[in-house]
Amino acid sequence: MTRKILLQINGKRRWLEVEPDWTLLKVIREKFGLLGVKQACMVGHCGACKVLIDGTPVNSCLIPASNVDGKKIITIEGLAENGKLHPLQEAFIKHNAFQCGYCVPGVIISAKALLDKNNAPSKTDVKNAIKGNLCRCGAYPVMIEAIMDAAKNLREAG
Amino acid sequence: MSSELTTIGKKLPWPYSPAIVTGKAIYTADIYLPGMLYAKVLRSPHPHARIVKIDATEAEKLEGVETVLTWKNVPRIKYNTAEKNPPNPQTFVYDQYILDEYVRFVGDQVAFVAAESEEIAEKALNLIEVEYELLPAVFDPEQAMKPEAPKVHESGNITGEIPLSVGDIAKGFKEADFVFEDKYKLPIQHSLPLEPHVSVAGFDEVGNLTIWTSTQTPFLVRTKLSKLLDIQLNKVRVIVPNIGGSFGSKQDMVSEQIVALLALRTGKPVKIIFHCEEMFYASRTRHSGMVYLKTGVKKDGTFTARQCRMIYNTGAYASCGLAVLDYGAWEFFSLYKCPNLDLKGYCIYTNIPVAGAFRGYGTPQVNFAVESQVDMIAKELSMDPIEIRLKNIPHQGDTDPLIDEVIRSCGLQECIEKGAEAIGWLNKRKNGKQGVKRRGVGMAIFTLCSGTKPALPEFASAIVKFNENGTVNLLHGISDMGMGARTTLAMIAAEVLGMPLDDIVTCTLDTSSAPYDKGTHASRVTYVGGNAVKLAALRARERLLNCASEKLRVSKEDLDIKDRTIFVKSNPSINVSITNAVNFATFGKEPEAIIGEATVEPVYNAPSFGANFAEVEVDMNTGELKVLRLVSPNDLGKVINPFGARGQIEGGLIGQGLGYAITEEQIIDHSTGKLLNTDLKGYKMTSPVDIPDVDVIYVESMEPTGPFGAKGCSENCMVSIGATIANAVYNATGLRIKELPITKNKILKAIKIG
Repeated sequence: MTRKILLQINGKRRWLEVEPDWTLLKVIREKFGLLGVKQACMVGHCGACKVLIDGTPVNSCLIPASNVDGKKIITIEGLAENGKLHPLQEAFIKHNAFQCGYCVPGVIISAKALLDKNNAPSKTDVKNAIKGNLCRCGAYPVMIEAIMDAAKNLREAG
Repeated sequence: MSSELTTIGKKLPWPYSPAIVTGKAIYTADIYLPGMLYAKVLRSPHPHARIVKIDATEAEKLEGVETVLTWKNVPRIKYNTAEKNPPNPQTFVYDQYILDEYVRFVGDQVAFVAAESEEIAEKALNLIEVEYELLPAVFDPEQAMKPEAPKVHESGNITGEIPLSVGDIAKGFKEADFVFEDKYKLPIQHSLPLEPHVSVAGFDEVGNLTIWTSTQTPFLVRTKLSKLLDIQLNKVRVIVPNIGGSFGSKQDMVSEQIVALLALRTGKPVKIIFHCEEMFYASRTRHSGMVYLKTGVKKDGTFTARQCRMIYNTGAYASCGLAVLDYGAWEFFSLYKCPNLDLKGYCIYTNIPVAGAFRGYGTPQVNFAVESQVDMIAKELSMDPIEIRLKNIPHQGDTDPLIDEVIRSCGLQECIEKGAEAIGWLNKRKNGKQGVKRRGVGMAIFTLCSGTKPALPEFASAIVKFNENGTVNLLHGISDMGMGARTTLAMIAAEVLGMPLDDIVTCTLDTSSAPYDKGTHASRVTYVGGNAVKLAALRARERLLNCASEKLRVSKEDLDIKDRTIFVKSNPSINVSITNAVNFATFGKEPEAIIGEATVEPVYNAPSFGANFAEVEVDMNTGELKVLRLVSPNDLGKVINPFGARGQIEGGLIGQGLGYAITEEQIIDHSTGKLLNTDLKGYKMTSPVDIPDVDVIYVESMEPTGPFGAKGCSENCMVSIGATIANAVYNATGLRIKELPITKNKILKAIKIG
């Protein structure tokens, strides 16, 4: 049975008929064309498909689309405001905090959830915030530096 | 060119990094074509069987299913998924069909389905009726070498063997005061890039078969598809979007043939994306196996004889197993100077998933053995592990015994000395090894060559094409699998041309426009590709200076370029911008396109060197091992981009190295051939909370044959991480673990035995 739900993705509202076996990942990518949310392990282990649902980072490959009716979803595409990149995005560029980049949207989403609550995190806080994001290229040290730098910039900006 | 470097050596972010951090970067999985079908593969549940009957009638009847392919209706041409160009079936054995009557491991391909959705394709797999005649299987390579073992292929289980020797091994052992013999065991490691194998096949505007795919070797994919599908080479087009990691596994053609064949049969675009579990069964793994070592040594620590027997398990198909064996042999020969060397390498078929290329390409296995044993020898001779190494390592000016080439640059000694200082070697070696939690430090050296010379033909090509406004498009056939190859190569062009990096755009790799390249592997990109880009840029620069010389009415030799400006060296106020010079060439009286192209064969295979150091802590009650710190001095010649170099070194150490040393291992049930840990919970790769502090140290030995002094950098530090940790554990506990990964259980077992 299909179900009509209200999707609020990156501030845009849209009603959509969804099949019961559609995941949030499928809807975001195939119905909304937001391809920054990456398709990777598809079993919730790698974190490449993370999005924020009401501020909490979740693996969108595990969430049935019908569960997010009315909830506020933020994807990597929703972080920049009026064409200005989020401080995390700026820091990831400045530090070149990646190699292949496939995990980056998910990592930034997890880091945003952290910095939204705590803009003075310790290195351990950062590691814990991104522990659900695997990076096979091994860019963790530079990602952690970038996230700490972004936090500093956020604090300084007040 | 100016002697002062303006671009090389600078920390420059990838030019496309804004696309990566905003989610706009397109990878193959992000390609959706109108009317696109989805492919799924039916895989064998048995480790060895003959397909007696296969019936896809019910599957084909399912609504939404377009076609089902089995071994009965696909081209029957033997090939090798890792085949190089020109074909070399002695090394890259032809032992595989697209689909076969026989299946040789759990996960081997039985049928391909194309359907309107992944869900329908998945349902169709369950409707294919297959009757198997079960055949005996073998999983252990030493078992498989016995004459009575079940045969994986009719030709027998020895895929190939290599005997190599230098000097007189018997004499060397006679001269030795001590002889050491040990056996080491290596696990199956998966590459598991975050982006799985993914390909889309369709047709371009003139009907050419076009494959968008995540591959390290687009030109080899083109060659193989042309042969298997009988299509004229230049009517197959392979396009490489961003690659989400690879580490060797995408050197083989794994998914491209499936979608290409299905697209041809259905006339529609087809996409395949491997599921996580499929990556465990059907990608390419690091070779598991065993290494036997016998080393003769004088009382003073000089090596007199070194003998090695390597047995590498290639799984059900050869892939590049014999070339991997060759590289392992090179590591054995080149790591230490010794007049008498002897090696036998065996590549063995068994009924397990296929091994292939994986960062290090056969070297981490043999390095683990050699570098563990050197530590044990040092202990017996009461020498410091560093002292015995310094006595036997190669230096600049030495001749590599296997390739018979003089090593033009070698900073290995400096790497060892700097690493020892950084980790606090002398103090930490001695610290009291008592109590429950014991700390220790260990080290292991490594070497890896830049490129495939002299084993395989080696060259690269590049085209530097000026646009009419003075910007540049750079064309080369080198896949950037995420390590920043596009940036490194563009920086080389920028340096030569006196332009900012931002003025250079690297074209998306398309085999229909880029010059041929054999692929991204063997740490060859910076050294081999960099030399090609440098020469192409120099040639474009020559043409540019010719125009400027005509326009400024001065001799070409008097001109130089900096900051987009061509100027007279003795009087920089006489100048013309690159834009105006190119404009003058393009729209002048005799219109001319400013293009430089070059193909370069490198002088040799410029080995890179380095040493890894680790500090660990072992809990003697639980066996728990913590890696506290890694120090990695690397001699990679001139560092082109410290961002890229750091990424590669930390990536080798943390991305895959640490896992290889302490956590990653594929467990196989030897009664069924099934894999027992096929997800990222059961197979433990390194996560952000597991990482130690890492210090990367550059030792820039300046390779005279490399572009701006650079040599290979990508695989090196992965090579010795296993022995580095094993040696540190030994220093902490006195326990010698000769089998990777060094897990808690292995340490606990060793503690109990004592």
